[in-house]
Amino acid sequence: MNKSFGSHFLAVGSLTAAVEPDVSPVPGRELVRATTLANGLNIIVWPVHNIPSVAMNNWVRAGSRNEAPGITGLAHFFEHMMFNGTTRRQPGEFDRLMEAQGGANNAFTSDDVTVYQDWFPRNALELVLDLESDRVANLAFAPAVIESERGVVWSERRLRVDDNNQGMLSEQVQATAFVSHPYRFPTIGWPADIQSWRLEDLQKFFKTYYAPNNLTLVFAGDVVPERVFELARRYFEHIPRQAPPQEVRAVEPEQLGERHFVIKRKAQTPLVQIAYKAPAAADLRGPAVNLLLSILVDGDSSRLHRLLVEERQLAIEVGGHWQEGFDPGLLWLFLTLPEGTDPAEVQAAVDAELANVVEHGVTEAELDRAKNMTAAGFWKKLATIDGKAQLLGEYEVFHGDWGKLFDAPAQFDRVTRAEVQAVAREILDKRRRTVGVLVPEEGTDAEADEA
Amino acid sequence: MSANPADTQAPAMTAGLTSARTAPIASAAATLTDGSSGTTPVAAALAAGNAGPVTLSATPAAGVKVPAHERIVLSNGMTLIVMPRHDIPLVSFNAVLRGGESAAAPGKSGVASLVAGLLEKGAGKRDAFAFVDAVEGVGGTFNAAAGPESIAIRGQFLARDQQLMLELLADALQRPRFKLEELENLRDRQIELIKAAKDSDPSELIGTYGRAYLFQGHPYARPVIGSESSLASLTHRDIVDYYHTYFRADQLTLIVAGDVDSVWLKKAVTKAFSDWPRSKRPPVVLPQPTRIKERSVLLVDSPGSVQTYFWIGNVGVDRHYPDRAALDLANTLYGGRFTSLLNTELRVKSGLSYGARSGFTRGSVAGEFAIRSFAQTQDTGRALDLSLQTLQQLKHSAVTQEMLDSARAYVLGQYPLDFETAMDWTVALGEIELYGLGAGYIENYSSQLQSVTLPQVQSVIETAFPAPDAVAIVLIGDAAALRGEVGRYGPITEMPLIQPDFDFRAGNRL
Repeated sequence: MNKSFGSHFLAVGSLTAAVEPDVSPVPGRELVRATTLANGLNIIVWPVHNIPSVAMNNWVRAGSRNEAPGITGLAHFFEHMMFNGTTRRQPGEFDRLMEAQGGANNAFTSDDVTVYQDWFPRNALELVLDLESDRVANLAFAPAVIESERGVVWSERRLRVDDNNQGMLSEQVQATAFVSHPYRFPTIGWPADIQSWRLEDLQKFFKTYYAPNNLTLVFAGDVVPERVFELARRYFEHIPRQAPPQEVRAVEPEQLGERHFVIKRKAQTPLVQIAYKAPAAADLRGPAVNLLLSILVDGDSSRLHRLLVEERQLAIEVGGHWQEGFDPGLLWLFLTLPEGTDPAEVQAAVDAELANVVEHGVTEAELDRAKNMTAAGFWKKLATIDGKAQLLGEYEVFHGDWGKLFDAPAQFDRVTRAEVQAVAREILDKRRRTVGVLVPEEGTDAEADEA
Repeated sequence: MSANPADTQAPAMTAGLTSARTAPIASAAATLTDGSSGTTPVAAALAAGNAGPVTLSATPAAGVKVPAHERIVLSNGMTLIVMPRHDIPLVSFNAVLRGGESAAAPGKSGVASLVAGLLEKGAGKRDAFAFVDAVEGVGGTFNAAAGPESIAIRGQFLARDQQLMLELLADALQRPRFKLEELENLRDRQIELIKAAKDSDPSELIGTYGRAYLFQGHPYARPVIGSESSLASLTHRDIVDYYHTYFRADQLTLIVAGDVDSVWLKKAVTKAFSDWPRSKRPPVVLPQPTRIKERSVLLVDSPGSVQTYFWIGNVGVDRHYPDRAALDLANTLYGGRFTSLLNTELRVKSGLSYGARSGFTRGSVAGEFAIRSFAQTQDTGRALDLSLQTLQQLKHSAVTQEMLDSARAYVLGQYPLDFETAMDWTVALGEIELYGLGAGYIENYSSQLQSVTLPQVQSVIETAFPAPDAVAIVLIGDAAALRGEVGRYGPITEMPLIQPDFDFRAGNRL
């Protein structure tokens, strides 16, 4: 261990302070084992013995991208139904059995995938494989349970969208940004569709997407890989392979001009969201895209935070997100404005700063900072079995190889200022963006409401 | 990778793009611990077991051992704890200062949060921009946040940067600049952030309204984030006064864990902090809050809201509650996990809500027991009825031996996941120091869980959980639609969501 105390001096009061990124090799590659069963089920195991626990993720290659008008929200509804009983086990038994052996679970659905997560003590391994295989092999659809779960999803939609100005605006931005590709569908589903999913829709979706050859199981934690493979064969190998799901063939046509809209809602603080068309997750420029976004919005020293929040006080919060999916998606900027601020003024300030990045690029110090922060975020995830399982799954599903995870810091480190400027020039193009603005409707300020 | 303001539960969950099974309700428990719940810092350890022979660790039933560490008290009363872990080249710290929001003067709520926020806005030789550049330039993190009884500064740096880390921490604690312009910016921004939360996530504020209503007259009523009007009234003098009163050596415990050279660190910390004076004031001792005996309703009006967000609570128990293991098992069964009585009724069986949870907040004195859930406006009465009925059911010994065994396995099975990283340990040891709990609080927990009997669970249900007719019910929803429906639960007090105070008495700043 190199301990060079006293040798570290940082330039003070200067924006050019830069410390070379630390590119330590990522340990663990030689411990990870992977196999594919005869029915196409893919299994990855990273044994880690620091705590007597295991994190398991089941990645299903199905999300709202695989839906159609009239059945939007189905992938997410399905995620809920996966907990609601099989031909062998009553609704609720999945959770009861898992919790009684010390396990907890959750699941999430995105545009691209549905992921089921379990966290459990190592002695519950066999039970977890039994439960997970049972719901893939024998899912049952009780009509009463479908109706009750519909209510749960409605409640989730009200929380995230209908009573949530940020959620409401982003749903509209996404729906406006795409004209052909199913990325225009909200993952939670349009209200009328939530009302109308039918049993047949569920059965068809299940058969197509919940086939073993469409799944990847990831384990990280206190397990022995050979034992996981043995149990996986016992519980999963009898489940028949299905024809692979149809490819999503829709290709979003080139956007020809900026789309801009204004929503008036009950609100105190205006919102602006700007979504640029951006590459797919597997694009080789991915690390440059992530570093660009980090330079723009990550941390209090990022460009847009410093300019808009600290210097000009035009925003109270600045954030961003690159939707890294199977197909080209969106790079988002989220801005929350102080009450009474003119959204046009904020947009003008953002546009000028982004034009500056496109024209002059970023500084070496900014790039190093972004690399250091990205590396820190990466190590933070790797510090837990949950983070390890997530990262293995992400690299396997979106980049085609879990092993690429171990090259990630080096990939980021190689990115140059010129590459960041090149992706900025390509992505930050006004013609290929959608701008959604939410402003308070008249008569909803404090006085009017109290009258 | 990048923060998305619309959803801080998980990075992958972008607003409207992703939906999770239970995430938002789970986060309701974030307020259950004192300290900086909103600013979880970067954690610090890659797994052990990446090198060397595989040693199978103990089963969960064997419990969690606190790793070897050193605890020293400097001559000025400051406590330093060092826990070396040399598996990866990262260092985490947690600096806990006693006091927090409960120590502030009446009418000044939010002052501790503002002081905490300003520590990063210039200290020592660095102005605000230089300070954050120094932290983020090396990929470090440095977050200060207030809780009800402490201010916690947490962060993580690469081991090679630990001298810088210590320099920044010593400057922030001993030499903050408190520049007027930075104070005004941060204060005004905090006011606007509260308004933004009212626009986009009223459920996040329900606990703040709940505590303000339940703890009337007690420091626990104070909103840690402040209110729009209390923040607006804070002056530079308030900030400086708070700082000089509570930022003192004997009020601080600094915990450092990870790839540290403990000999160097002890020397360096002693040098960096030895001139810091002791406090001249006795420590803050909070009065015991009293339980409410009647049921009443606070209706926070959010016109046009399609769902009602509700909170049902009463005063519970404190950190030193002797039957903690039995209490945790009882709450697990009532509202602490997916198959709990509460979630089963409100979500699984009826489909009324995305989720329902309960929990105890335990401070140096008794905090609240609270139920949280939500349902669409026209189902509000049904959801409240079910919540109160399950509480009644719990009180009338609904717990069986089989349920108890299941809860025990669940809590034992999940417990090790709280102690995985060096950062986890700095947080855990910070709590132990703040409340004077001792290592047994962690190490004896598993054996305590294993010995809990059914009568013990029944006894904590009897004494620590409120009766359904003695609770405060707080609702955020469309008052015009709710007024007629909720009067049957007790007398109603109304206030508008946009009122710039969390206290229902307009103009009364907590």
